[in-house]
Amino acid sequence: MKVWMSEHIFNHPWETVVAAAWQKYPNPITPSVLGTDVIDRKVVDGKLKSLRLVSSQWGFPRWTKPLIGDANICYASETSEVDPAHRQMVLKTRNLTFYNYITVDETVRYTPHPKDDKKTLLTQEAVVKVHGVPLTHYMEDLLASKISFNASKGRQAIEWVISKIDREVQDLANSAAKTADELITTTRHQIDDITSKTMHTMDEIQSAAKKSFEEVHDLSSLPPTASMPKL
Amino acid sequence: MDHREHMNSLNDTCNELKNQYDKCFNTWFSTKFLKGDTNDSMCASFYSVYQQCIKKAMKEHNIELHDAQINHLETDKEKMPQS
Repeated sequence: MKVWMSEHIFNHPWETVVAAAWQKYPNPITPSVLGTDVIDRKVVDGKLKSLRLVSSQWGFPRWTKPLIGDANICYASETSEVDPAHRQMVLKTRNLTFYNYITVDETVRYTPHPKDDKKTLLTQEAVVKVHGVPLTHYMEDLLASKISFNASKGRQAIEWVISKIDREVQDLANSAAKTADELITTTRHQIDDITSKTMHTMDEIQSAAKKSFEEVHDLSSLPPTASMPKL
Repeated sequence: MDHREHMNSLNDTCNELKNQYDKCFNTWFSTKFLKGDTNDSMCASFYSVYQQCIKKAMKEHNIELHDAQINHLETDKEKMPQS
């Protein structure tokens, strides 16, 4: 059995980091993760509980093939819980492939930094067990070093996702500002248009009214003899 | 760098359904759930069609989850009454 532990501090608030954690894949830093699928998800007692299936390429060395077999794609199950009231997210991942020979139990925890609320503390722990095959310790060491390597890449991936989200938010803000500008300009044009149309119409009404008034006036000013037939 | 925009599903046929659901979920998670609104009906329709697809794909790929993992959600559900 091999236990591996690590800590990392993100200079982002907890809410930002956990939102990014869901969007961690795909990223260019850990292309080995091929897919993530939600198998079950529900809100229980204010906490979000999810079960995801993660498919990835592990890239085992060739010499392990006769020992544990071959698998192009490895599957792992990930159970997680997000507690927004206590600002805690915990993810537990366990491999499904090679489960009879190797178990890798990984626990990842995101909590606000105890001394700085605007930062997020990541704690990561992995327990590796290899059993029933030769070279157990060697394989455990190999997996532990691989986990360590992947963990640092995983942290980079989170940072990459956060900057991507920031960019998207900025883009959204820009496009929203642009839309607002466009809206104001369009509205102004429309108001101008309506005003000129209204003025035009008012002119027409006025002139028409004037005309009919004049007509009425003309009519009334005609001598009665001209308009009334003589009896 | 060649890079995918969306995360793939286990099965290509579920990708589009997965992306639509993920998009909805991410919005719901940030704008509702993290702000204290635990009503998850917002993405329910996306979730249900995506689940139909993925459950079928899992059967085709012969993927079975360990009982312990499936029970994780179920036992918690039984332990904690729905609020």
